[in-house]
Amino acid sequence: MTEAQIIETLLDFIAADGTTDDEFSPLALEIFAYQFENNIPYQRFCRQREKTPRTMQSWRNIPAVPINGYKDLTLSCCDPEAAERIFMTSGTTKNGVRGKCHHPTLSVYDTSMITAFRQRFMQEHTKLRMGILFPTEQTMPNSSLAHYLALALNEFGSDGSRYLFNDDGLDHEQLFAELDRAEQTGKPYALLGASFSFVHVMDKMSHLGKTVSLPEGSRILDTGGFKGQSRELELNEFYDLLEARFGVPRDHCINMYGMTELSTEFYDWGNATCPSVKSGPHWIRSQIVNPLTGEELPKGDKGILVHCDLAHFNCVSSILTEDAGIELDDGFLLLGRAEGAEAKGCSMAVDEFLKAAQG
Amino acid sequence: MALRAGYLPGINANDVEWQTLTYDRDGQAIEVSVPLLSDEQMKGLSGRIKEASRQHLKSMAVSDITATIDATIARLLDRNDTYRQQAEEYLPLITGYDAEMVRLGLTGYLKTFRQSELRRFVAEDFVNPKILDEFQPLPKGGYGRAYGPDLLAHIWAGNVPGLPLWSLISGLLVKAGNIGKVPSTEPLMASWFAHIIAEIDPKLGQCLAVVWWKGGDVDREQALLNQADLVMAYGNNDTLHQIRDRTPITTRCLTYSHKVSFGMVSKAALDTGKAWEVAHQAAYDIVRYDQQGCYSPHLFFVEQGGAVTPQEFAQYIANELDCFEEKFPRRSLTIEEASGVAAWRQSEEMKSFSEENNAVMGDANGAWSVAYSEAEEDLAPSGLNRTAKVISVKQLDDVPARIAPYKAFLQTVGIAAAPEELQRLAGMLGAVGVTRISALEHMTAPEAGWHHDGRFNLLDLVTMTEVERSAETAAEAFSDYVD
Amino acid sequence: MNFDGKIVLVTGSSRGIGAAIAKAFAGEGATVIVNYVKNVDAADEVVAACKEAGGDAIAIQADVTSGEQIQALVDQTLMDFAKIDIVVNNAFKPYTFDPDNRKQFWDLEWQDYQDQLDGALFSTYTMCQAVLPALKKRTQGSIINMASDLVARPTIPYHDYTTAKSALIGFSRNLAMELGPLGIRVNCVAPGLVYPTDASRKTKERVKEMIVAQTPMRRIASPEDITGPVMFLASDWSRFMTGQTLYVDGGLVMK
Repeated sequence: MTEAQIIETLLDFIAADGTTDDEFSPLALEIFAYQFENNIPYQRFCRQREKTPRTMQSWRNIPAVPINGYKDLTLSCCDPEAAERIFMTSGTTKNGVRGKCHHPTLSVYDTSMITAFRQRFMQEHTKLRMGILFPTEQTMPNSSLAHYLALALNEFGSDGSRYLFNDDGLDHEQLFAELDRAEQTGKPYALLGASFSFVHVMDKMSHLGKTVSLPEGSRILDTGGFKGQSRELELNEFYDLLEARFGVPRDHCINMYGMTELSTEFYDWGNATCPSVKSGPHWIRSQIVNPLTGEELPKGDKGILVHCDLAHFNCVSSILTEDAGIELDDGFLLLGRAEGAEAKGCSMAVDEFLKAAQG
Repeated sequence: MALRAGYLPGINANDVEWQTLTYDRDGQAIEVSVPLLSDEQMKGLSGRIKEASRQHLKSMAVSDITATIDATIARLLDRNDTYRQQAEEYLPLITGYDAEMVRLGLTGYLKTFRQSELRRFVAEDFVNPKILDEFQPLPKGGYGRAYGPDLLAHIWAGNVPGLPLWSLISGLLVKAGNIGKVPSTEPLMASWFAHIIAEIDPKLGQCLAVVWWKGGDVDREQALLNQADLVMAYGNNDTLHQIRDRTPITTRCLTYSHKVSFGMVSKAALDTGKAWEVAHQAAYDIVRYDQQGCYSPHLFFVEQGGAVTPQEFAQYIANELDCFEEKFPRRSLTIEEASGVAAWRQSEEMKSFSEENNAVMGDANGAWSVAYSEAEEDLAPSGLNRTAKVISVKQLDDVPARIAPYKAFLQTVGIAAAPEELQRLAGMLGAVGVTRISALEHMTAPEAGWHHDGRFNLLDLVTMTEVERSAETAAEAFSDYVD
Repeated sequence: MNFDGKIVLVTGSSRGIGAAIAKAFAGEGATVIVNYVKNVDAADEVVAACKEAGGDAIAIQADVTSGEQIQALVDQTLMDFAKIDIVVNNAFKPYTFDPDNRKQFWDLEWQDYQDQLDGALFSTYTMCQAVLPALKKRTQGSIINMASDLVARPTIPYHDYTTAKSALIGFSRNLAMELGPLGIRVNCVAPGLVYPTDASRKTKERVKEMIVAQTPMRRIASPEDITGPVMFLASDWSRFMTGQTLYVDGGLVMK
């Protein structure tokens, strides 16, 4: 298939509602064959794994690239120069190198985001007044999260929705004005942003002794974890605090799990209990594997998450994350990053060595 | 049967809070109770050990101490002895290591503590071992005697069976009272050793104790650090840093940090007749305790120009690891350990895409992997758990300069080379910080009396008391036979 | 026996024993490379039968007496499948087993021997050289070379043919020695007279009856009789066997 055909097929697939393995697998294999042919570093990776389109029977066997691969390799089917947009990874970088995901068009990404966001976050609402606790897309053109939040605001934000962020960071004054306004009008309000921004806001509120009670139907979307950008909180503590500070019940506090290396996001149905069950729309599937053998683990066993995201058609659809998880009937539990263990003896492990060698 | 770790002379077991550690490997669960002492109990125990060490141990002759240790080791070597039988049964379950590997490993290791070896051990550090028993004339004049501390605290780490015996025996040889803290990963061996000592010589049994607390329990650790005269600690740099920071300034703290070891293979060893055997030896060093020891090799620098190329040598090692998997299967890994191995393997795979001749070999179950590289690579640890890297080099003489920046982490180098090469390389490696050079196949079994990390195991533990000639001379003036 | 995901290369597998071997592997889930020289239709039929049997297959044309063509065969296999697990060297120079019209020693020229050596030994040598880098890289693999029970019992002295097959067994043992430390096994299967194949079609009833009479199992081998031992040597069931020759002739030869 050509790029244009892939895009067209994908847009149809996303628009179709609910699909079975039998429908997912053939498209996944076609996209794999496309990536194998047009993405030479990925082809080398697959050959090292002794997998080719010819030997592939199910999406479950498609070789998943470790997300670190994006830092070492340029994984793009289209000419990287011709990409409409490049999203770069944040967080811990290897030798300061950031992984890049090239998007020849954002049409698939946007459709994927909008379709899932409507189902999972908006639910009964068509529009909500929104406040975004994150920089704008113009400030961070290579951030997929900035683009995601911009889409949310443009597609689903009612009049008056705005960024609560300025050049100096969080704009507390405007934020509190918005919160107070929402409280007075009694109209549902949505607050969206990075998890660590919420921590900063709540620390500030605690300092000021401020709490608000947002109107019924209001909701919160946090994403990305704390990543050393704020103090680390236990999830239960975090959602308790959200509920206490903003008056949004925990089951209306949605956590989005996404990453630059995907074009589709996972959501939970609120965080009344933690860890919550995450699931994604029908064009993304996940597996829990043994990271060493790539073997899929039985339901209920702890392993590492692999995602196969058809919408991420230009790079690689199947990625091996660094996140531990457990598969359930209706999704998976996200258990945080699986760090490499330290040696059991007196031998030195890689992480420790790197730390020590860098002084 | 409930297994109990620890050894607490003078404390009634009923007065102690016991915690249960559970080891569950491949469906065979086993529980071990470990003692958690209160601050008071630790203080009391320390006091009694110090007292017993002063009263009893200091007056024993070194030869008597070695005789008791020898008798203790003899029991641990005797396959009919109940302690030995327990060791063979439970250590594999606790550590996950293959039972046969543990059995052979224990015997090989314990053999290095027989009486003749212990005497060699003492003689390594003391030209005149009698200096531990009584004042001996010193070459510079006067007399000197070496005293061990009254209380030597050991903070052990790791799961390589029996490793704590090293420092515990060192402590006894210099007549120190000992309290050792065992790690949760292998709490039994040191405990059994202490029990046997006490059975053989009850008085000597009053001079040592084995305790436990959960790693990171700062308060309990502090309780011991406050009492000790000398501290020996093992672990990663962060742990050691904390221990050293909390050790009182007047107490010496000897630290043994994690290390990286590697192998070197000369083209002289790579003819079609011998290369296979060298690969077999290299693989054995990788397999022993799944590379958890500081002396375990992470990588091999292999010289080009032999009949067998470095790449083929890597393939030989791969096949040898595959064969060893039949003989000594690798222990099963936790998801975190598996992630560590996977991360290493993946990063090596990534490199192989940009370096034409690099390759990564491994079995489908991830039981072992070998990476091969022709690039100019620096020293870096492998993913452990039977993962190793073969780096092709033009000549071995280039290696020391490459590893020089990592001086602080170097320990053992296993070498297969001709005599004159060995001589030359030894000089170059010693200069950049390597402290031990062995043959391949022997990397993980240091000989008796080796100098761990290049230090003097016994000499580091003692303080000298010197009677200077002036005191002797002056004393003469006060004798009753003075003219 | 499960050969799911295994890539099996069988030379000369458009017909006869080779075709039977290809189909048998496919029946256990393997992907088979069906190599042929001339008869593309026959090869395509084997491919279709392999798929029918539950495996996968492709046909690749290559003359195994040409080093270049063998290299191209291996390269294409690796391009499509990224690895090779099993190689069955089955192809040989066409030879007519006709006891009544065979050449006697004094009729033979060295070229007759040379032709058979090229067909049996040179082709196997070349294939092994070509496929070895891929096997070494994985430190695993199984090579099976097709010999003949005539090596042990020259019931009819087909000098040139049998000499070449004898050489093949010696070749295989040496190769087994060399490749053992690299985790690669090399074995031979030595069938007796197999009927019907193109090569044995001219064998007279009288000869067959003579062989049957001396064979404990009291019949002549069919191509399907040969496939079991080949697959056994290809599988993990024989993972500790190398340098062996299995005689598959109903007990005619006992060694």
